[in-house]
Amino acid sequence: MLEVDNIRAGYGAINVLWDVSLSAAAGQMTTIIGPNGAGKTTLLRSIMGLLPLTQGDIRLHGRSIRGTAPWDMSGLGVAMIPEGRMIFKDMTIEENLLMGAFPKQHRAAARQKCEQAYAMFPCLQERWNLLAGMLSGGESQMLAMARGLMSDPELLIIDEPSLGLAPVVVNELFGVLGRLKAEGRTIILVEQNTQKAVGVADQVHLMQSGKIALSQPAAEVSLEHLHDLYFAH
Amino acid sequence: MLELILQALFSGVLQGGSYALIALGLALVFGTMKVINLAHGELVLLAAYIAYTVESSLGVNPVFAIPLALLIVCAAAVLVYFLVDLIRQDRELNSLLLTYGIAIILTNAIQLIWSADIRSTGSAWFQEPVVIGPLYSMRSELVFFVVSLALMTGLWWWLSRSWYGRAVRAVSSQRDAAKLMGVNPRKTELVSFIVASILASFAGVALFSYGVIQPSYGHVLTVKAFIITVLAGMGSIPGVLVGALLLGVTEALTVTLASSALQELAGMCLFLLVLFVMPNGLFGAAGRRG
Ligand SMILES: Nc1ncnc2c1ncn2[C@@H]1O[C@H](COP(=O)(O)OP(=O)(O)O)[C@@H](O)[C@H]1O
Ligand SMILES: [Mg+2]
Repeated sequence: MLEVDNIRAGYGAINVLWDVSLSAAAGQMTTIIGPNGAGKTTLLRSIMGLLPLTQGDIRLHGRSIRGTAPWDMSGLGVAMIPEGRMIFKDMTIEENLLMGAFPKQHRAAARQKCEQAYAMFPCLQERWNLLAGMLSGGESQMLAMARGLMSDPELLIIDEPSLGLAPVVVNELFGVLGRLKAEGRTIILVEQNTQKAVGVADQVHLMQSGKIALSQPAAEVSLEHLHDLYFAH
Repeated sequence: MLELILQALFSGVLQGGSYALIALGLALVFGTMKVINLAHGELVLLAAYIAYTVESSLGVNPVFAIPLALLIVCAAAVLVYFLVDLIRQDRELNSLLLTYGIAIILTNAIQLIWSADIRSTGSAWFQEPVVIGPLYSMRSELVFFVVSLALMTGLWWWLSRSWYGRAVRAVSSQRDAAKLMGVNPRKTELVSFIVASILASFAGVALFSYGVIQPSYGHVLTVKAFIITVLAGMGSIPGVLVGALLLGVTEALTVTLASSALQELAGMCLFLLVLFVMPNGLFGAAGRRG
């Protein structure tokens, strides 16, 4: 469904991604793991058009989306759930959700989608009118997830949802990821929690220093081998 | 004495309405674009001079100048937006130079067109005194205070209930996240410039209707708007309103109890005092600035 083909990207003069290629098959969960600073977020930002490519191409359903503005991505059925810190802290929970349905084609169904979000994340419902800045880390992450689902995306790109969360919340979160996968959505998941990430994944990519160091079907991944690679540097 | 002070408080509050409109425009543009438009006061003043021209050439009440003021001030604001948008590097800093330059050009253009003379309204209807108990005001002050409150209510409604208003707040809050939600921030920047100039147009006509204007006043207005915005902690509409009323009252009390020559100084002292006691502004939560 999505193919990243030999891309380079970075921040101004600093290049971060070095000839990265990977693909995400429809209906599958593709997981990218790797240490801090490996370039995982940079890769996701490049896919979404937040960063320009200096080399290579990105294709969705075989068509190049290189140079597509981030605000046009949801029209193509792609949504990114950035880390929970990137919720709109000065807006209420419900306003955050409504922003997820901002593109014109989603506005009519926004109310109904809010109800679905509340059903999926009951912790948000009671506090719909609370400023999002008042939420805990776990709740912020849930809100970011719910907001990303408002446009009912075909391809969901999720950046380190478990970052800094308590173990109980992490379990809850992976429960949600499992359900999303069961709904048949295509998901690209970036995670540092290797064990859990490999557990839900179909395909695993290990990223190190801006390069893909390993790509394997999840069933073939040996956690020990992965750990060896992880700490090889 | 007490009556004098009460009267000063009342006049200050009425004046605060227009101040709030000006400050909200400045804050709105700063929120979306992170640009402090130093020409904002001049845009307000432009509206005031358009009101003067309409009144003096057509002999009608200055409120009839509002449509024309809206048209010209919005056009000028859009031009400022596109100029700022041309800046490619260090926009936050370079835009200060650019908008300051535009402010000087506007001040001089105003002086060229309307001369340096002091202008004020000749509308008898507007200058009619209205007496409420011990308090006195001009009709224009009351009318435009109500108009300011109505505009602020409208702005609040737009920012919290409309899709585009919420997008403006989203861009101010988390620019990249807003892009991911399908918001093109450049559009919201332009929209915020236009909304700011709508508020500026009303404020300008108001200032002409109950006060005196002269070409150098634009700069003074920008400073006032800046003081109010910082006092409020770059935050909410109610915060800006309170900051504006506080400035209006401080100035009125200074004029009543000391001298009108100290009016601007008093505003600056208020500014320093509040920032000294509350570095995040009156309503800024700790650590939520910048
Ligand atoms: N805004 C930025 N400007 C410059 N360099 C950045 C920026 N964001 C990240 N980097 C650098 O890019 C590299 C990859 O970062 P990132 O993609 O965030 O890694 P990861 O998400 O895998 O932890 C790091 O070396 C980081 O310092
Ligand atoms: Mg990251």
